[in-house]
Amino acid sequence: MKERLKVALAQISCQQGDKAENLRKMGRIVTKAKKQGADLVIFPELSSTGYVVRDQIYELAEKIPGPSTRIMEKAAEKDGEYIIFGMPELSEKTQATLYNAAVLIGPEGLIGKYRKMYLPTHSVFEEKRYFRPGYQIATLDTKLGKIGLIICYDIYFPEVTRLTRLEGAQLIVCISASPGIRRTFFETLTLARAIENTSFLAFVNLVGVEDGLQFWGGSRLVGPDGKILVQAKYDEEDFVIGEVNYADIRPVEAFVPTLRDLRPELFDKLKDAAEEL
Amino acid sequence: MKLTTAVLDSDWSEVEKRIARFIKDYVEKSKAKGVVLGLSGGIDSSTVAALSAQAVGGHKVLGVMLPERETYNVKDIKYARLVAEKFGLKTETIDITNTLQAFYNSTPIFDPADKLGKGNVKARTRMVYIYYYANRLGMLVCGSSDKSETMMGYFTKWGDVAADISPIMDLYKTQVRRLAEHLGLPENIVARPSSPALWPGQLAEEELGVKYEQLDLILYGLEHFMKPEEIAAELHVEKQLIDKIRRRWLLSEHKRRMLLTAKLEYRTVGTDFRLPRSPW
Repeated sequence: MKERLKVALAQISCQQGDKAENLRKMGRIVTKAKKQGADLVIFPELSSTGYVVRDQIYELAEKIPGPSTRIMEKAAEKDGEYIIFGMPELSEKTQATLYNAAVLIGPEGLIGKYRKMYLPTHSVFEEKRYFRPGYQIATLDTKLGKIGLIICYDIYFPEVTRLTRLEGAQLIVCISASPGIRRTFFETLTLARAIENTSFLAFVNLVGVEDGLQFWGGSRLVGPDGKILVQAKYDEEDFVIGEVNYADIRPVEAFVPTLRDLRPELFDKLKDAAEEL
Repeated sequence: MKLTTAVLDSDWSEVEKRIARFIKDYVEKSKAKGVVLGLSGGIDSSTVAALSAQAVGGHKVLGVMLPERETYNVKDIKYARLVAEKFGLKTETIDITNTLQAFYNSTPIFDPADKLGKGNVKARTRMVYIYYYANRLGMLVCGSSDKSETMMGYFTKWGDVAADISPIMDLYKTQVRRLAEHLGLPENIVARPSSPALWPGQLAEEELGVKYEQLDLILYGLEHFMKPEEIAAELHVEKQLIDKIRRRWLLSEHKRRMLLTAKLEYRTVGTDFRLPRSPW
């Protein structure tokens, strides 16, 4: 396993509903990332389609593996790169049951996927109208180490990130499509999730304007001590590379040993209390 | 929740950037040559003019002034010209008196005593001119409605509210004033009492029966799911006033969501056809 890796945060805007164009754009960025020495390149939530596609999602969703993942597999193979991107997934067994998915692909092919567990359906968000929530945590084993995948609103629920960490993820990747009014929340929560788990956290957010919603970007790689290692611009497309050195976790974990101090007996109480809310 | 004027504060540089980005993005994606807006010399259209000029350049913004005999006010034209000059806008002035007169003369049931009906004809006539310019010039219509009047239904259906984009519709009037100050609009314009100019001497605050400073805090409270009694207690006003405003807000939803049909088939326009606004 690689101990030090370069992670590229590809903060892009998308053409709403135009998969071919979005995938082409991602392919170009993967090549650019390779030239700049990146091992992993991360794109935002639903980056293959754009975020606001509403009923068109039924035409755009694909199985995994499927045409979109195969295009990205070729890109990963050609450039010897690991790629994470977001796409609407059509369930294997049905014809219109969809998931909001994150896909991890490596030079060796499709490694795995994560289906978003917490689907915002309030304010401007209508995800439960279209998606079924996922039921599985994704901690994916790669040559770059174990990578935990979460998507956007999942970050408000610390148990998702915590579970991937407990399964061994030292790098947690949160792909996102967050509009501007929520910037403070995400800037706080990205730090909190990294600190409480003593892990690296890569947050990659969409930019651009879709139906009046302005996505704010501000993608960042956060260290296990909550330090921002690299940060992309607000509101415009950007591409930044940060370095993850897993050895940096040890001194932080020894200094604030949150994992050592976990109290499993509280989790049952948490479950009981949540059921009674 | 404390309801003081502080709740309506914002980072105006950030608001300015977001609105300009919104206009620029929409104009570019729709491949329009610019925007057309009705320029009245009032605060809302002056603010939208300034933001549009910043977004796409003043040479791509056409401010159309549409005076008519009954509501003619020399100050309207003076201030509209001032704004056009300051932000480098193109302008066009058309006196719509004859058009209105032709409508009045040719309509058998026309009643000059029906002030509102007549006023709505003026608002819709202005809309027809503005859209004609937009069509001819390959431009988009940029609306100037703010959140206070939109929530109150204080506008003409298919009239002044008709636009392709409405950049300040998420800002209350008192917020528009602060943004206008930030944008460097002349004090005279910022401080002018608002009027839809549908009949002589018409003033928005008189018709609404409440000052914008108070109205905006009431609407802000309603927006944030506060109960009428909580808002009344916060603002030290009668609950009746809150109820009246709340009723007016709810009763005018038909003016804001305009396509309605009977649900008959699988997916229906206006209710459950949920599509992105523009498939670029």
